[in-house]
Amino acid sequence: MDSSTVEKVIREIEQHSPRHEAIHVGRVSAVGDGVVAIDGLDKALMSEVIEFEGTDGKGLADSMADQGSLYGLVLNLEEDGVRAAVLGDTARIHEGMTVRSTGQVLAVPSGDELLGRVVSALGEPVDGKGPFKNPTMMAVERIASGVIDRKSVSVPLQTGVKAIDSMIPIGRGQRELIIGDRGTGKTTIAIDTIINQRNEPEDSRPICIYVAIGQKESKTARIVQQLREQGALEYSIIVDAPASAPAALQFLAPYAGVAIGEYFMDRGKDVLIVYDDLSKQAVAYREISLLLRRPPGREAYPGDIFYLHSRLLERACRLNEEKGGGSITALPIIETQEGDVSGYIPTNVISITDGQIFLIADLFNKGIRPAIDVGVSVSRVGSSAQTKAMKSVAGGIKLELAQFRELEAFMQFASDLDKETADRIESGRRMVEVLKQKNGAPIPVEKQVAILYAASAGFFGEVAVSGVTSVEKQFADFLDIGYAKVLDAVKASGQLGDDAKKKLDKAMEEFRLAHPEHFAPAK
Amino acid sequence: MIAGGDGRTGKTPRAAVAALRDLLAAKGKSTLLSSIGRAFVRHAEREMRKDEMTLVVAREKDERKAKRDAKAVLENLNMGSDGLKTQIDDTLIGGWRLEGRGVLVDMSYKKQLLDIYNRATS
Repeated sequence: MDSSTVEKVIREIEQHSPRHEAIHVGRVSAVGDGVVAIDGLDKALMSEVIEFEGTDGKGLADSMADQGSLYGLVLNLEEDGVRAAVLGDTARIHEGMTVRSTGQVLAVPSGDELLGRVVSALGEPVDGKGPFKNPTMMAVERIASGVIDRKSVSVPLQTGVKAIDSMIPIGRGQRELIIGDRGTGKTTIAIDTIINQRNEPEDSRPICIYVAIGQKESKTARIVQQLREQGALEYSIIVDAPASAPAALQFLAPYAGVAIGEYFMDRGKDVLIVYDDLSKQAVAYREISLLLRRPPGREAYPGDIFYLHSRLLERACRLNEEKGGGSITALPIIETQEGDVSGYIPTNVISITDGQIFLIADLFNKGIRPAIDVGVSVSRVGSSAQTKAMKSVAGGIKLELAQFRELEAFMQFASDLDKETADRIESGRRMVEVLKQKNGAPIPVEKQVAILYAASAGFFGEVAVSGVTSVEKQFADFLDIGYAKVLDAVKASGQLGDDAKKKLDKAMEEFRLAHPEHFAPAK
Repeated sequence: MIAGGDGRTGKTPRAAVAALRDLLAAKGKSTLLSSIGRAFVRHAEREMRKDEMTLVVAREKDERKAKRDAKAVLENLNMGSDGLKTQIDDTLIGGWRLEGRGVLVDMSYKKQLLDIYNRATS
């Protein structure tokens, strides 16, 4: 024990004044699979935190050696007692153990010092960087902001993904679902969006929260590493409830994440929160509900499974100026089975959110990444937040791609097609190439505008389809070197004026002259 | 009150058990009788525990003072001290611990020392 600890102990002894404090207690009557039945605790509140008394019958030394307090969360109030989920190691609980009421609902620490940190679903640091010094405690369950406190979505949240920012724009305060089979790039889109926020000015840059639910620890570690390497960890917080964590913690993690986000929203900041993924949260909640003996419904999910997600996602909103003008943008992720979006949980979350980005395995396997199905994907409120510059260049892309997908089937009869159809197919193929993007490489919005302007002006029309991606990258670098001022102007004004268009036309011409090898006249 | 198949009611414990046995036999579920019996025992134990009040002290010689203190505490809580049981638990080191009727008052030295330790090391 070092001298500072001894001093602390002496100070604590001097300040210590024992009081006759009566606390409400109960006794564990049954325990199993992360759920305990407790006799007594007749004054317990719903969602109250209870503390298991691990020192019964143990000597002082053994009690001091215990690994910290063990808590539970009251989830069922019954006639003779309560049922609670254990928020920790169930193996430390035994029948007859005393359980004390704390009189507090579950809260997690939040504050600026959480930035760049990895925390558990209870807000405890798990990255080995030490405890938080002065956090603000935020209630995990909180009623979502009311209608009067909200305002419409009007500020864009740039994902850095061309296909999304142009066709399925997201606004700050929106809930946009990312849905698709396993291995179709759902997490990649979410992480790219977090990384892209480094392109935002520091004062308006959203705080990013990534909630990993039931994920492999290795995947979360890789994401943390990626964010650190890309310089995105400094404005991000990771809430980790891995697959090895008890179901109760996996069920609580999204609420903990949004509670941490609400601290920043209440202070007028914008927050981006990714729930990866809510399918696993629903499964964890089903497990707890069945153990709590709640009646099972469809697919054995409990009756309040819709409310589980609606009360979470309703907490994402944009507050009005009187409330500080902060926002929480939610990107929930749902994993489908065999592309079936009509499943119970997918349809629930689709109906709650303000749109969905649907990723399909076929496109992914064809090398079209991000593998977004433009026909099914939609953003219901984001278009009002899209910049005028992006609107002006992206207007026709969705229609063009939808027409291309319809005509794609006829590609094998290319020689028999009329010229108009053949041109449309060729143009569609190039647009698909333009919208392809590598993972971990989000593109700032001004550059997206320039590339899409070039695409809509037919710049890639003479480029071989296989070369479009590389020409696009070279052109983007060319703009960075010679036309940075134009890009800056587009970024600052959010508009693509005639002057900017002329300069981009000039840039295209210069690039064409500098790299004639890429451009073959149309046959 | 449990009514048997013949309309008998169990007005006394013996009659109630007989009526229940007859009812189960009439429904062909006599095997349930033993598990119902065990459930009754558990329920009765739980009900008895609800009214129990236990005073735990570290040493026998502390008992008199602890009882006096505990009675004062119970008066403050508007609880009677009838049926107060006493137990010895030397892990408490000193002081006393009163538990029962859904309430715990822990004035043991072990608790005080643990509180000081936890605050100093957190």
